Amino acid sequence: MATDEVKKKVPIVEGLYKLPQNGGEGYLIGSRCNACGVYFHPKRVICAKCFSEDQREVSLSRRGKIYTYTIARVSYPGTPVVAPFVAASVALPENIQVISLITDIDLNNVKIDTEVELHFWKTGEDSAGNDVMAYAFRPVST
Amino acid sequence: MEKEVVILGVGVTKFGRVTGRSLTDMAREAGRMALKDAGVDYRDIQIGFCSHCNQPLGTGMECFAQLGMTGIPVTNVEVACASQTRGVVLAADLIAAGAYDMALVIGVEKMPRGMVPTGDINEMPYMFRVGIMPMPGIYAMQCQRHMYQYGTKPEHFAKAAEKTHRNGSLNPNATYQDVFTLEQIMGSRMIADPITMLMCSANGDGATATVICSREKARKYTNKPVRLVGWAAGNPAYSEHESSALAEGPTEALGRKVYEMSGIGPRDVNVVQLHDAFSPAEIFTIEELGLCPEGEGGPFVWEGNTEIDGRLPVNTDGGLVSCGHPIGATGGRMIAELSWQLRGTAGKRQVPGNPTAALLQNQGIGGANVMMFAM
Repeated sequence: MATDEVKKKVPIVEGLYKLPQNGGEGYLIGSRCNACGVYFHPKRVICAKCFSEDQREVSLSRRGKIYTYTIARVSYPGTPVVAPFVAASVALPENIQVISLITDIDLNNVKIDTEVELHFWKTGEDSAGNDVMAYAFRPVST
Repeated sequence: MEKEVVILGVGVTKFGRVTGRSLTDMAREAGRMALKDAGVDYRDIQIGFCSHCNQPLGTGMECFAQLGMTGIPVTNVEVACASQTRGVVLAADLIAAGAYDMALVIGVEKMPRGMVPTGDINEMPYMFRVGIMPMPGIYAMQCQRHMYQYGTKPEHFAKAAEKTHRNGSLNPNATYQDVFTLEQIMGSRMIADPITMLMCSANGDGATATVICSREKARKYTNKPVRLVGWAAGNPAYSEHESSALAEGPTEALGRKVYEMSGIGPRDVNVVQLHDAFSPAEIFTIEELGLCPEGEGGPFVWEGNTEIDGRLPVNTDGGLVSCGHPIGATGGRMIAELSWQLRGTAGKRQVPGNPTAALLQNQGIGGANVMMFAM
């Protein structure tokens, strides 16, 4: 019996997020300082607040709120996102903010404090035929 | 005992796309202007800094060699848009410490066309790879938050650009030479809400130069120098504050240091140069520098307070928005305009009433520098 080659999913950049696999949901990778308790994304080796090297890699909350945003009307050449699109700074419960694309939202009705949740989308394929994945947030369906 | 530092000479070339003008041509032109303005020979310069962001290895050496080859140390300085003033800060530190008497800082840039590149796309941070955060994205996000928190209006941000373009029309070195109405500015192409094309600084080439000297040695050349009475430099610092990710440098903290070092407070500042890569920065920065209460920058600008004949003239020469932004050279343009204002030689752009204290804020991806000048 012939085996089909399974297309892999790979992140556009390594080390920032884990893609969903084995039924898991995927998450942003952060670090928590075991000495003083603050979180970082991207993860850090040395704490920026207390300089401790005792950092633990963690999965960050999948839900946050829009702290601020803009509606970009011009695309950046050579990149997969096409204007117009919403870019936002998403505030996570860990007291950090992450810059992210916001999908599935009405451009004329973007509001600060909207609750959003993490998901992943395909930006294209690489030379090996794998799906190249990026993250984004979208409004939580109420 | 720390030595006093003065700005002895300044030079600024025309900014913009001027054909037949190489990198070294521009650097030499700016350098010569500053040396002549200072009344010194290149032989008198003991140390040099060359600021630029997009130029090849060895640029500092090539540029300074145009003026002479005296063997002095010339070091390249890059802090993105804050490069030239960082060079001046370094020179000032050295002169204050008594290590040198006279320095020359040349800022020069030949800009590629289109959006500002930051290197090989495969090495860039995530948000650049995906394409969600070119400039002016961060500034536009700051605008939206400012509007939400303080009720600032899009027309306030546009008003800053209207005023600044009008000032630029009085500056033969500016890239833009036109005056635009508020409607034209708000109606120009939207880049990222609420920032339109005419609220963004123009792309273009240019060079600037600054001769910095100890006050002691400067007496040989002038009785009335522009004094650099306070300066502070810094990179973005860690903060647990919610919006710290959006900041480019610790402007507020640097401002406080400079007020203390100079003994001149925000109320005594007569004229300002600040980093308006996008016109909303005028509103954010005057608040960060304590020049107007937090959240009130919008109405402050709207009511005309930052006009040349206003209470607090800002960017009297057209700022980045109208002059353009040859990245490595921008700081030197700010220093030059403030020097001319304090000397009373700014011509059509002269702030009335004999200004005696001038404040500068220059920031980039990677840091900020704040300076106080006095006459």
